[in-house]
Amino acid sequence: MTMTDFHPQVKQLLDGELTLADLPLELRAEGEEALRLLAAVDREPVTFPGLDGRVLTELGRRAKAPGFWRRLRLRPWTLVPAFAAGAALALLLARPIAPPPATTVTVRFVLFAPEAQQVALAGTFNQWDPAATPLVRTGTPGVWAATLTLPAGQHQYAFVVDGARWVPDPGAPAVDDGFGRRNSVLSL
Amino acid sequence: MSGRDGAPDGQVVRAILAGDTERYAELVTRYRDRYARYAARMLGSLDAAEDAVQDAFVRAYDQLAQCRDPDNFVGWFFLILRNRCFAERRRSKEVAPLEAAGAVAAAERADVPVEAAEQRRALQHALLELTPEQREVFVLKHVEGLSYSEIAERLNTSVPSLKMRMHRAYDRLREQLRDRA
Amino acid sequence: MKTLRVFLLLAICSTAVSAQDVSARLAGRVPPEIAALVHQLATSAAARGLPVDPLIQKAIEGSAKGVPADRVAAALRALVGQLDVAAVALQRAGPALTDTDAIAAGAFALNAGLSDRQVTALARASRPPYSVAATLRVTSTLAAMGVPAADAVDLVTQVIASGGATTEVLGLPAQVMSGVSHGQGVTPAQAAAGLARAAAARANAPGQNRSHPGKP
Repeated sequence: MTMTDFHPQVKQLLDGELTLADLPLELRAEGEEALRLLAAVDREPVTFPGLDGRVLTELGRRAKAPGFWRRLRLRPWTLVPAFAAGAALALLLARPIAPPPATTVTVRFVLFAPEAQQVALAGTFNQWDPAATPLVRTGTPGVWAATLTLPAGQHQYAFVVDGARWVPDPGAPAVDDGFGRRNSVLSL
Repeated sequence: MSGRDGAPDGQVVRAILAGDTERYAELVTRYRDRYARYAARMLGSLDAAEDAVQDAFVRAYDQLAQCRDPDNFVGWFFLILRNRCFAERRRSKEVAPLEAAGAVAAAERADVPVEAAEQRRALQHALLELTPEQREVFVLKHVEGLSYSEIAERLNTSVPSLKMRMHRAYDRLREQLRDRA
Repeated sequence: MKTLRVFLLLAICSTAVSAQDVSARLAGRVPPEIAALVHQLATSAAARGLPVDPLIQKAIEGSAKGVPADRVAAALRALVGQLDVAAVALQRAGPALTDTDAIAAGAFALNAGLSDRQVTALARASRPPYSVAATLRVTSTLAAMGVPAADAVDLVTQVIASGGATTEVLGLPAQVMSGVSHGQGVTPAQAAAGLARAAAARANAPGQNRSHPGKP
């Protein structure tokens, strides 16, 4: 049995009824020790993504329920793998801020490539398919262009020159593509 | 994403009891994480806490007809979770508290310096040495930020008895932390 | 009511977690061994609440670029790692912030050169009406433009702290670009710094308020 009880006034400090300055000088050190104890409290929020999906799956799995709940029949599509419902519910729980209006934006892509025989555009908006969006020569020699209507949001892309050379857009922000090259970023 | 998530608890509970059972999902969504931290601090393990919360939601559904005050579903749910947490501690007393405390406090937190992480761990460990009632009042006040009167209302007890419990907790924590230092 | 249907619809639209959906998008675009890997990674990622769409996109991209399969596999695993780190970084900022859109944006931010601490800081700063995902994307774009990550984070948080409209945050890359092209010899970092000073001058509050995770 140790005699390490906090002084009653220090307990009031811990309860938030007194401040350190309210304590007599001889209790200050003990007060600071008490405050250090409180500072070590872990208040980090805790979250359980996917838990809602598991709860619903568990409830859906119950074949029989007594009395009133015998009619329990969560619709079949709630029995999809827990993560699906969980992901969807997590999306709702997160309450995303009013999403940007579902608009599209018309964008003109331009590349100066005087030596090229063909230039195409590939990106997240066309499944990175070089065949999907060829550029055409413009009136200015060496300048290729294409105009696309894209949904608002963020897109990554690159030009494909002569079917083989992947070239980021010189005028655009660039990010690592994970394969040793760079992709251009377009934010609409 | 708007619309439904605004319906008050009482309304949702009554709709479920009237047969619209799928709407329980709204309550689960709404309160999924509400007491996650409380459970984590009470049990000293994220895994145990997750099991406890999941279990509590399932039990709450099963017993929904017994919820006396549908407008206070969350308070009733809390008590179910609380009982589950208390039962868990009784059951798993043999779990080495050090590992259990580590599971919560040692989660990767690059932004917390090493000494601070150590102190957190030590305090969580010390908390697990308290009685569940002492730990609970400490967690509700100093982790969840409730006032004594709010805690008293929730646990249906008096402020003076809570303070007595808490002050005993303070002393025991100090004792634990000193022994460890 | 019909809420669960809406939830599931959201899941399919936003996270594409059904196996059929994954197969449909990969069909004819990736070799079989990559498709198998994507299915495997997607299943475990989705179970952790991570977005699956970035994995599908990256697999398609790598195959379209003619990247060898083992390189694609490595990039996919690295991407999963980034998604995990992003999820943790967001969770540190608050439990309600880990929606898949924000996680995808967080991984993008890490790829663009931000640190996980910076991701956490941005998420903390992005209380409504600011969107965590949008804030992360804007900051990533600034970094991708050559603004040093720390300066980009400063600029965005400064604009938020000064109560700038959400459209102003979204318009920052264009403003920096404009500062670079109109100024003579102005670097992106300098343009960003100028904007940050302007925002700070407007601010009349001492920076972000970190609210204590309060009473349930």
